[in-house]
Amino acid sequence: MSTVSNTHRYRERPRLPDLARKLVIFCASVILLVYVLAPFAWLVSSSFQTEAEIVSVPPHWIPHEPTLENFEAIFFYGEEEVTYESRTQADPASGGYIPSTAKDLLPAMWNSFQVAVAVVILNLLVGVPAAYAMAKIRFRGRNASIYTILTTRVIPDIALVVPFFLVIKNLGLLDSLGSLILTYLAVTVPFTVFILVSYFESLPDDLDKAARIDGCSRFQTMTRVFLPLAVPSLVAVVLFTFLTSWNEFLLALMFTQTPAAQTLPIVVASFTSDFTISFSFINAAGVVAVIPPVIVAIMFERYIVSGLTAGAVKG
Amino acid sequence: MAQIRFENVAKYYGSVLAVDKLNLEIRDKEFVVLLGPSGCGKTTTLNMIAGLEELSEGDIWFDEDIVNFMPPHKRDVAMVFQSYALYPHKSVYENIAFGLAMRKYPKAEIDKRVRDAAARLHIDHLLDRRPNQLSGGQRQRVALGRAMVRQPAVFLMDEPLSNLDAALRVSMRAEIKDLHQTMQTTFVYVTHDQAEALTLADRIVVMKDGIVQQVGTPDEIYEQPRNMFVASFLGNPPINYLEGELIASGGRMAFRRDGLTLSLNDDASAKLSGQDGRKAILGIRPEDVDDRATPAEGGAIDGHVNFVMPIGSDQFLNMKLEGKELFFRVGKETRHGNGEEVTLAANLDRLHLFDPETQKSLLWDQGG
Amino acid sequence: MNRLLPARLAEKLARRFNYDTRSAMLFITPVMAVLAVVAVFPIAYSLYLSFFKLKLTRPHRVPFVWFDNYIDLLGDELFWSSVGRTVYFSVTSVAAIAFLAMLIALLLNETFRGRRILSAILLIPWAIPTVANGLMWKWIYDSGYGALNGLLLQLGFIDKYLIWLGDADKTIPLIANAFVWKEVPLATILILVTMKSIPADLYRAAKVDGANIMQRFVHITLPSLKPGFALVAIYETMMAIRHFDLFFILTEGGPGEASHVSAWHIYAETFRNLSFGTGSALAYMMAIVTFLLAYFIIRTLGRRL
Repeated sequence: MSTVSNTHRYRERPRLPDLARKLVIFCASVILLVYVLAPFAWLVSSSFQTEAEIVSVPPHWIPHEPTLENFEAIFFYGEEEVTYESRTQADPASGGYIPSTAKDLLPAMWNSFQVAVAVVILNLLVGVPAAYAMAKIRFRGRNASIYTILTTRVIPDIALVVPFFLVIKNLGLLDSLGSLILTYLAVTVPFTVFILVSYFESLPDDLDKAARIDGCSRFQTMTRVFLPLAVPSLVAVVLFTFLTSWNEFLLALMFTQTPAAQTLPIVVASFTSDFTISFSFINAAGVVAVIPPVIVAIMFERYIVSGLTAGAVKG
Repeated sequence: MAQIRFENVAKYYGSVLAVDKLNLEIRDKEFVVLLGPSGCGKTTTLNMIAGLEELSEGDIWFDEDIVNFMPPHKRDVAMVFQSYALYPHKSVYENIAFGLAMRKYPKAEIDKRVRDAAARLHIDHLLDRRPNQLSGGQRQRVALGRAMVRQPAVFLMDEPLSNLDAALRVSMRAEIKDLHQTMQTTFVYVTHDQAEALTLADRIVVMKDGIVQQVGTPDEIYEQPRNMFVASFLGNPPINYLEGELIASGGRMAFRRDGLTLSLNDDASAKLSGQDGRKAILGIRPEDVDDRATPAEGGAIDGHVNFVMPIGSDQFLNMKLEGKELFFRVGKETRHGNGEEVTLAANLDRLHLFDPETQKSLLWDQGG
Repeated sequence: MNRLLPARLAEKLARRFNYDTRSAMLFITPVMAVLAVVAVFPIAYSLYLSFFKLKLTRPHRVPFVWFDNYIDLLGDELFWSSVGRTVYFSVTSVAAIAFLAMLIALLLNETFRGRRILSAILLIPWAIPTVANGLMWKWIYDSGYGALNGLLLQLGFIDKYLIWLGDADKTIPLIANAFVWKEVPLATILILVTMKSIPADLYRAAKVDGANIMQRFVHITLPSLKPGFALVAIYETMMAIRHFDLFFILTEGGPGEASHVSAWHIYAETFRNLSFGTGSALAYMMAIVTFLLAYFIIRTLGRRL
């Protein structure tokens, strides 16, 4: 056995495994980036192309003649009606058609926003006390309550549609934001409760006891001690609820009929089923629909992850 | 001021009995320690006083009122927790003031009380800090301060010193005792540390498996334990036990195990006269022997030293006699060595005797 | 115990409705009320509706038909074929999601520069509205001008543009791809969290024991990830079974019946055939099946965890 070669072999840190690791990570990262960003990038690229360019075969990955006309149509359609009149009156069959419903996009965004905000507020109002009670108060039916609430999320949205549709129709509330807000609660509340209960349970019981001995009623304990401490989970709830409401499609499809109440996803969807509409315009509409949630998600990534993982592994 | 009375109080968790048939009276201004191993029900009892746990049976009285279902925020109690339970998002000042603020005391009064307490506890320079910026000892003082400013009728403490290191624990003990003197309030203190109980208490309540074993002053508990559990729980190192029997010998009673015979003093002899032949367990504490005096008649313990452990001012002798291994503590004047044959003089006034089946003391009255 | 009956009763009531219980009841009431209205009521109502022959084309003739609706549905071939398609869609999607999520989690578990940015970017598919997701992929799959065709042509894999969504064999895999793309981020987070909770000491012990990377992966990582996989499987299966949005935007159930899954079946029956009775029956059945599925999965996996 030659000791000399062994000494030399392990004298310095071997470089190959290190390099190999870095290479693998780099390649994997690139692949992941492509997988995630490529479709999205294509969407963005298409939205900046003119209709003439977008129908090239093979496609231009990067626009040779980038244009803002699609976005202009969305944001300024209502104002510059006369100028666009001539443009949109162009032959629909040529594919350069921008529908008059383009002007519905921004109001639809506003509808989406109102609904989302209302749903967030209601979720917090309803979810926080319930979560506190289930996490910190020992009472009969506590476990049953938790199971019941979580089970309701198992119900598919479709199952809600038919009964709701009939009731709302009979009440004459079809096509109102209120009906959307109410039905969205079914979709968001169980998950909200799940996140909040997990987080509240992770806060020390002793704090609850100390507060009650210090003279807090149950309500005061919740508001003055636990709420300030639960802020990360509250942020997560706001994010999830907002995004879920913003992105919701099926229920909005069923319950809204006119631009008065239609939310963003509905208006965007109406474009995709119309084959005479300019492709580049549809893509631009898609980008507009996508940007707000993406920005929110990226900015608040940390809260989203922590909100999801609170109790996720355990339960 | 508050006198607390438990009347036939029991607490169940489902079918598990946590506290059974508790009858206890805590006098106003008394310092009572609930002592016992974990799971004995002492914390549950404390929580019932606070209102954090609801009793299953019986009544709890504060002076003349029954408080069974009164929620904690309506009771005039303050509590110090083992984990301190300081509000992380509030400053030290706000933590201490919280209880007073909740009870709507005037601002000036709150400020005065908080600063007085802080000064007393030497934390006045920390009032603006957050709990996560403090050391363990400092947090403990804040927890004390929070309870102090309330000037409650009852002061509850749940193993407040267990998270501190040994030196700090000893000095805090003195401070707590001092606090009791100054505040002249009822203190109820929970611990599993028998040394702590012996130092602090006016009276000790020893509990095991939810049942009160004995209630008495530290001296009573230590010197007149009513059963083997109490005898062995207090005292460090624990009491030595030897199985044997009682015999009559020369006009008095004695304990015999094989070659060892120890005479009982007049009191004990009188109590146990006529019980010749009865099986008994002898208890003798490690410190109740002397290696320098000449043993009296019927008071000698001969044994073989297995090994010696010196600790500072004394020596521990691990000895073998009559087939059993015992621990004794003697002074260091005579150095002993491993393997030595040694004769110790037992203090015949400090012998304990127990019934092997009931484990109860044969000498001390079982009442109460 | 010489208490009078009223006194004993009073104590029982005091005990049952003590302060804590009263507070808890108060705090829970809003949630329960909301869910009773928006979740429990619809289920009960749709069960009720499913016993009637309710066609919105003749809204005034609503005969009570007991289980006829169900029998009709169960005898309908389209019903069963859509169930089959649903299963196909769900199984392939969930498998793909779990596999990809694991790979990505493995990557993100390492420390390297830019990892935070990568994690943030990973959230993009999750944040995108399903509508936009559908639109995006529809455009990519477009037979005339789509990116998929263009890319394959440029790379030389095909020599002329193919039909994608319009090809009955390709429809469900393509839709599944869009679904997977959107669901992978969430699944990755769940797996990653489980991964992070694996004690580092296990790997250290294995290294000392002589295990190489592959062996450590097979013997430590995979077994420890079981809870994570379980959670992903449950959640994504639920999501896949009930998924509707992409089927609406991409293919509207077509071509023919190629992508006519159960969710679409319910929609078609209710809003295209305007048969609310059968639509309710279908919806109710799906709710029951999902519920039972969740129940059994949680039971069996809960025991193993």
